[in-house]
Amino acid sequence: MAPPARSSQSSSPSQPSGKGEVSDLKSQLRQLAGSRAPGVDDSKRDLFKKVISYMTIGIDVSSLFGEMVMCSATSDVVLKKMCYLYVGNYAKVNPDLALLTINFLQRDCKDEDPMIRGLALRSLSSLRVPNLVEYLVGPLGSGLKDSNSYVRMVAVIGVLKLYHISSATCMDADFPSILKNLMINDRDTQVVANCLSTLQEIWTAEGSNSEEASRERDALLCKPLIYYLLNRIKEFSEWAQCLILELVAKYVPSGNNEIFDIMNLLEDRLQHANGALVLATIKVFLQLTLLMTDVHQQVYERIKAPLLTLVSSGSPEQSYAVLGHLHLLVMRAPMLFSSDYKHFYCQYNEAFYVKKLKLEMLTAIASESYTYEIVTELCEYAANVDVPIARESIRAVGKIALQQYDVNAIVDRLLQFLEMEKDYVTAETLVLVKDLLRKYPQWSHDCIAVVGNISSKNIQEPKAKAALIWMLGEYSQDMQDAPYILESLAENWDDEHSPEVRLHLLTALMKCFFKRPPESQKALGIALAAGVADFHQDVHDRALFYYRLLRYDISIAERVVNPPKQAVSVFADPQSSEIKDRIFDEFNSLSVLYQKPSYMFTDKEHRGPFEFSDELGNLSIEPDVSAQHVEADDEDLLLSTSEKGDVGFPLNGSSYSAPSYDSSKPLTASNTSSDLAILETGVHHQASASLAIDDLLGLGLSTTPAPAPPTLSLNPKAILDPGTFQQKWRQLPVSLSLELNVSPRGVAALTAPQALIMHMQGNSIHCIATGGQSPNFKFFFFAQKSEELSNFLVECIISTSSSKAQMKIKADDQNSSQAFSALFETALSNFGML
Amino acid sequence: MLQCIFLLSDSGEVMLEKQLTGHRVDRSICSWYWDYAISQGDQLAPVIASPTHYLFQVVREGVTFLACTQVEMPPLMGIEFLCRVADVLTDYLGGLNEDLIKDNFVIVYEILDEMIDNGFPLITEPNILREMIAPPNIVSKVLSVVTGNSSNVSETLPGAAASCVPWRTSDRKYTKNEVYVDLVEEMDAVTNREGILIKCQIYGEVQVNSHLSGLPDLTLTFVNPNILDDVRFHPCVRFRPWESHQILSFIPPDGQFKLMSYRVKKLKSTPIYVKPQLTSDSGICRLSVLVGVRNDPGKTIDSVTVQFQLPPCVVSADLTSNCGTFNILTNKSCTWSIGRIPKDKAPSLSGTLVLENGLEHLHVFPTFQVGFRIMGIALSGLQIDKLDLKNLPNRPYKGFRALTRAGQFEVRS
Repeated sequence: MAPPARSSQSSSPSQPSGKGEVSDLKSQLRQLAGSRAPGVDDSKRDLFKKVISYMTIGIDVSSLFGEMVMCSATSDVVLKKMCYLYVGNYAKVNPDLALLTINFLQRDCKDEDPMIRGLALRSLSSLRVPNLVEYLVGPLGSGLKDSNSYVRMVAVIGVLKLYHISSATCMDADFPSILKNLMINDRDTQVVANCLSTLQEIWTAEGSNSEEASRERDALLCKPLIYYLLNRIKEFSEWAQCLILELVAKYVPSGNNEIFDIMNLLEDRLQHANGALVLATIKVFLQLTLLMTDVHQQVYERIKAPLLTLVSSGSPEQSYAVLGHLHLLVMRAPMLFSSDYKHFYCQYNEAFYVKKLKLEMLTAIASESYTYEIVTELCEYAANVDVPIARESIRAVGKIALQQYDVNAIVDRLLQFLEMEKDYVTAETLVLVKDLLRKYPQWSHDCIAVVGNISSKNIQEPKAKAALIWMLGEYSQDMQDAPYILESLAENWDDEHSPEVRLHLLTALMKCFFKRPPESQKALGIALAAGVADFHQDVHDRALFYYRLLRYDISIAERVVNPPKQAVSVFADPQSSEIKDRIFDEFNSLSVLYQKPSYMFTDKEHRGPFEFSDELGNLSIEPDVSAQHVEADDEDLLLSTSEKGDVGFPLNGSSYSAPSYDSSKPLTASNTSSDLAILETGVHHQASASLAIDDLLGLGLSTTPAPAPPTLSLNPKAILDPGTFQQKWRQLPVSLSLELNVSPRGVAALTAPQALIMHMQGNSIHCIATGGQSPNFKFFFFAQKSEELSNFLVECIISTSSSKAQMKIKADDQNSSQAFSALFETALSNFGML
Repeated sequence: MLQCIFLLSDSGEVMLEKQLTGHRVDRSICSWYWDYAISQGDQLAPVIASPTHYLFQVVREGVTFLACTQVEMPPLMGIEFLCRVADVLTDYLGGLNEDLIKDNFVIVYEILDEMIDNGFPLITEPNILREMIAPPNIVSKVLSVVTGNSSNVSETLPGAAASCVPWRTSDRKYTKNEVYVDLVEEMDAVTNREGILIKCQIYGEVQVNSHLSGLPDLTLTFVNPNILDDVRFHPCVRFRPWESHQILSFIPPDGQFKLMSYRVKKLKSTPIYVKPQLTSDSGICRLSVLVGVRNDPGKTIDSVTVQFQLPPCVVSADLTSNCGTFNILTNKSCTWSIGRIPKDKAPSLSGTLVLENGLEHLHVFPTFQVGFRIMGIALSGLQIDKLDLKNLPNRPYKGFRALTRAGQFEVRS
């Protein structure tokens, strides 16, 4: 659940600053190193504890490395463990000193106590120092043959660790084939499970380079192995069972009988206490039966109860994860869950994100059956103390109304909401009534009667106000007061802060003018004048466009602004069915919780700073080297996309960026605004000239508005793959280069470049690659404009020794690079760099 | 595959950091998380995406367990594992808070070392862990003073890790053999604005506390197992006997464990009723709440409480009860503790609420959350028939208890 009220993080005053204490410890450790006096282990233990507690709170105690190693000659297991922990933490930064530890670790690997053998082997393989791998191969080899299963289990994982440090050494020692042997023959199930996960990882990684490895990887899915594992599945630990089931989910059985055999075998796994295991089993069931429609449906029936029990039995965190998966299934097949709709009723104490999932499920079910009961329930939430949920439930009622053929009862409910006289309830309802009218124009009489009574003064939210104005314009012939309400809104033009509302007001007045010209001419005049003088580009453009259209021909203007409309039959679903299927294929993964297929969120971040940051030390500052690196990454990416197979989504995720206007906006408005964009190109400079002829409507314009400088806003979810980045970097000229001084604070902050990257990402500037070594750091950033696909690329070299930052900015749109550079500088200085 | 686990205190301080793979996770992720957690308040989901990592978080007693990963993985695996870590630590340290973790961080490191390797969960069974790393309890402290052996790592490797009953060691010995079976049920119910019970179900657990020597084989049967809608078992339960005869046959782990959990849905009534009434007129709202026994379960109903949150538009409240104590906090949350419902009178709470200026009627209504406890009965009606024990040297003591309490029991007004 949510954490309790928290104060922001501060370095606690009780934390020692480090220096003095560390040197103190150093001398004490030195004294103890050679001593063999009785009780020395106890004092060592206290010192070690201190060292590790410093390490834990983040003080650098790496300078004690030598002393710690000297003290580690001991028979005390706890001391050994603490020492292993210490060594594992600092070996990577002290490769030379790490060599000192090899000796005692190797000796411990031959200890008679299997626990110590195992621990030593684990520590040895966790050192992760590339030039020490030669010392690892021997102990690993004997560890795999150890008589004790604990040691074998550790050794198997050790092989994987070795592979990640130096794949060549691992392959040369022929470890994979030893593991393969072990996997089939070992008595201990944990050893088998570790072999499986290690082999999976190694073959998958190798598979991209070698035919043989990918054959080996596929061989893990062969029938004998799968059956061997399935038959013993109950002997494995629950986590290992998850691993096996993940493998089984990928297995393609040869026939229906085989499918039923596997399902019968796994049936009882659905009743296991471990939720992860239950979900893994469900995934197997769903995957196996994908092509057998009836059985697939039966599977839904079968898994329903375990899932619902998991939701109500676990901790809030577990419930959430299960509910995410249940949500996916309900959305796919609402019918099958209709009898269980009461499970999705919201409880008062639940967190918002849980209630939201539940509301969506209720909405999906209500569109099929139990509409009346569910709508009644949702209406109760609307009067709830919890305002965000009240809003969500009103939206849900509206959604149900839009999907139902029989809407009578629901419309009544919606209109009752308006009588509650709660500002947020009214606001949400207005937006919904507007959508409803677009789909069912026949309801206009009932709705208009109620909407007409709402005073526009009580509505503050832009979306609701825009909806009300749209209705006033659209149904101005039926609403007595429409022109006058609109007029008073136009008169208070300057008080209206939302451009969306001002745009709608212009359009509504136009429509009103076509229907009731004498009553609305004045108001339209006021609005057009105010609109042309508006500092917002869109409002300005639309006002000018309307004005010219009216001057040209009023009947054409009517055809453009207020054409006869067809009722909307289906509102667009924000998520395509392809994406939904894709998420379903990734059942039991993070994609389900994020409600996005994993390629939409893992690739970019996973392939971004992460891959580079690990190699930070290897990158030199020369640009060509980093370019090569980008290239390498590009290849990597290509391979992974081709692996992804047949899905035709653009990787650069245009579906990912939010549309600039939402679908609830009336069609006319968006149509005209796009027309507008085509017609209106660079005319506003002539505004004053054309305004001179303002006889038609008696405009009283005296001053010409100065065109406001376009403000630059960036897309927070910009996506650019390294390949494109590199290509663009080559093609584009440098549009700006500048040099800035870096503050001492900024220099200090660069000890953790990740923080800078995260900060910049918070400002919608994304890091695509980093490199360099202290004192010279190099970053490549990119950003995209929020409205269009226009990129900015930045190379930023920061030298901490000279406290200078050099930047080169390249941009698709050269004109805005100045604005972008200002943004970039602000972002840097907010971080404390400048 | 998890890459790193952090334990944070309730002020956001990193108490412990355990790197699991070669890809070191920078500590700065914790401050990102902390800022994000503060900005989200109660709306923080258990699985979140930071700019660089995906984070799983579980908060227990003010301690945040934070796990990071960069690759796709089953989310429940991450969450379930963190929950297990929290459970195991609670078990080991006899509680969970900042001080306990800081005092015992070496043990915590040792435990984590055995629970997960290279980002993949290994041993989470408390019984096995206990044999590998001795808990820091008073007994072992005394023992270490007496014997002079202060290592809390056991000298031998656990026998159970390799046995076919991984949740139990075979060499347990008790002079007094006892086993206790508890039925603990929670009732979830929702009464809607019209006073109709729209949802009523029970979530129950069979908790067993066993102190038995050797490798005992137990069989537990119910009088009416067919009322159970869905069941989940501890790994020790054999599936076949349940499948064919609804018999729980198992070799128990040692100590306290959850043998089975179940759900019984579509219950027809609740043991008590709570009837709120709100009528408002010209800025004043009259509130009355009546509480009483609806279906006498035959046992005493005690610890009855009614909690609710007054809407923000209520300026002041003047409420009195004829029974129990009533409290309003400054954030307008109200608690009415009735305790045991008296025989002679029906408890009631009544009074007036003053609404803020300009508001005639109350539009937003509180939800009343009800608590109660009934000892000696399982409201679902589930009854234990008998418990048979085999493989035991002498006759053990068997104890049975039942308890029902309110879970999410809410009455809307």
